Amino acid sequence: MAELRLVHIYKTYKGGVEAVKDLNLTVADGEFLALLGPSGCGKTSTLRMIVGLEEITGGEMYIGSRLVNKLAPNHRNVALAFETYALYPPLTVYENIAFNLRAKKVAPAEIDRRVRAVAAMLEITDILNRTPAELGGGHKQRISLARALVRNPDVFLMDEPLSHLDAAQRSHMRVELKRLHAETKSTTILVTHDQLEAVAMAERIAVMNFGVLQQVGTFEDVYNHPVNEFVAGFIGEPPMNFLPCRPQSEGGQLFLISADNSFRLLLPDLLRSRLERAGIQQVDLGIRPVHLDLLDQPGNGPGELQGVVSTYESLGEEGQLAVSIGAAALLVVTPPELSLRRGDTVHLRLRASQIHLFDAKTQAAL
Amino acid sequence: MQTEKAQGRLAAVLSDAFLILYFLFALFPLVWMVLVSLKSGPELFTTQFVFTPTIDNYLAILFGDARAAAGVVAKQEFPRNFMNSLITSSGAVLISLLVGVPAAYALARYKFRGKEDLAFTFLSFRFAPELVVIIPLSVVYRQLGLYDTHLGIMWVYQLVTLPLLIWVLRSYFEDISPDIEQAAMIDGYSWWHVFFRILMPLVRPGLAAAALLAFIFAWNNFMFPLVLGGSNVQTVTVASLGYISSAQGFFNRMAAASVLATLPQILLALSIQRYLIRGLSFGAVKG
Repeated sequence: MAELRLVHIYKTYKGGVEAVKDLNLTVADGEFLALLGPSGCGKTSTLRMIVGLEEITGGEMYIGSRLVNKLAPNHRNVALAFETYALYPPLTVYENIAFNLRAKKVAPAEIDRRVRAVAAMLEITDILNRTPAELGGGHKQRISLARALVRNPDVFLMDEPLSHLDAAQRSHMRVELKRLHAETKSTTILVTHDQLEAVAMAERIAVMNFGVLQQVGTFEDVYNHPVNEFVAGFIGEPPMNFLPCRPQSEGGQLFLISADNSFRLLLPDLLRSRLERAGIQQVDLGIRPVHLDLLDQPGNGPGELQGVVSTYESLGEEGQLAVSIGAAALLVVTPPELSLRRGDTVHLRLRASQIHLFDAKTQAAL
Repeated sequence: MQTEKAQGRLAAVLSDAFLILYFLFALFPLVWMVLVSLKSGPELFTTQFVFTPTIDNYLAILFGDARAAAGVVAKQEFPRNFMNSLITSSGAVLISLLVGVPAAYALARYKFRGKEDLAFTFLSFRFAPELVVIIPLSVVYRQLGLYDTHLGIMWVYQLVTLPLLIWVLRSYFEDISPDIEQAAMIDGYSWWHVFFRILMPLVRPGLAAAALLAFIFAWNNFMFPLVLGGSNVQTVTVASLGYISSAQGFFNRMAAASVLATLPQILLALSIQRYLIRGLSFGAVKG
């Protein structure tokens, strides 16, 4: 168990591709952190640098108080559960798990005790004498976790651990991984592109994009207070709607007006001062599909919009309504079984406290 | 239900019968070779299947005979030829293993400039007819002092054995996820340890199959030892020509020599049969 500290970490590959840029991140001792981002965001490069499979181009990395930049993977006392499991096919499950302890020349009795303990924890005691080829994905996953955990690593990393499992196994494993973390209390980093996994398991989420760490925080932090449009759009399902518009004062009130003049939105007072303080001319208004309410009657209150239905899908537990407002399109999560047709006019209210404003130029939150 | 079962049985019997028929057809040359090797001179040109077998031919090629001693025919040197074949073929396979396994691994794992060109160049050794290269090669060999040496023959056999090993093993190595090697690195093992403990067992079927085929190709090669070898390295394939002269054709001895020369291949194939089928079908299924 130890704290992991990344200080101004850079990774530049041959040919000049900058995979990770100026990454500063501290994972507390015993914390479960998810490294979340789309493919190619630098999360796998970061993971490989932590493990030691990839050289660190710049910056310093500490595990506990040890500077590990130049340490070989086996001297870092980290464990990695691979996306592909990477079990050793010629060896039995038992030997797969014991492989690392044998390299460390641990006494055979001690090896046996630890292998059996970790096997019991992962409920694979009955398959210790089989070989990986005979087993299914769920079992392989458990073996790969057991192999990682048996060495009591300072930092335990998981690379997309659930991506090769079917839906039922996946939701089961999510619970299991959380339980494992509660039992072992090891510093754990989960690398994933699936926000659901990150939300379900991790205590904090670090969102990356284009090699840059965007935001670190609890799910509530990144969901309610995204620092920029990328985080706002990446976290949450269905993704946040963005409406490009410009502020305009009229008779002491502040309106947001779309580029093609298709809507005028009276801005709730809450946001008014924030926008005026920023003093910018182009903003992107962000609102999540779940924070839009359908109105029966058109009103003229703040945060109200009028649009035309383009599609409506009833998905059983909820409905998804796509509304077009001039050139802009909005997705709204509604109750199911509404009788809405293409071309119908609908009135929407944006919940004032859930409106996000972003600088259209820098995409940063206001 | 009953008729279905009966039909199934009929189909099985028919397919067995067909396989047996094909088996006889395919093996007939071998059977004929064995028969001829057991015939004495006068019976040689008859198609009798019932005759008094003799092992004189075998004795003659193994130990020489009275006429050879008297200088009527050249002394038969089958044991020496056999040894030459064994040395050159297994030597060639050994060299191919030492060179080919790392080469296949490198071609499977590393990215480097001209990788595919290099791999194709290896493969192209198999396209070129031996006759095209044999004359320039023999000039080179004479100048380098490789002519009529075991090393020279092993070396030229690489044209036959190396591409086979590299290409079969390459696809095996490509099938093994690099993650396994990295997992082992994190586990604290050296690359060598991982290579022999984890990777080699995984490629063993391919290795066995490719090595056996390479051995057979080398053993059966005729052109290279004929032109690049003299009496020092004469192999069984080349020596078998010697049983026929303008004066007399000892076809029965030739057959006996051929039977003995086939034995190592058959024994080898039988001993690694279980790898052979898996080893050669594995890559094919995967495409």
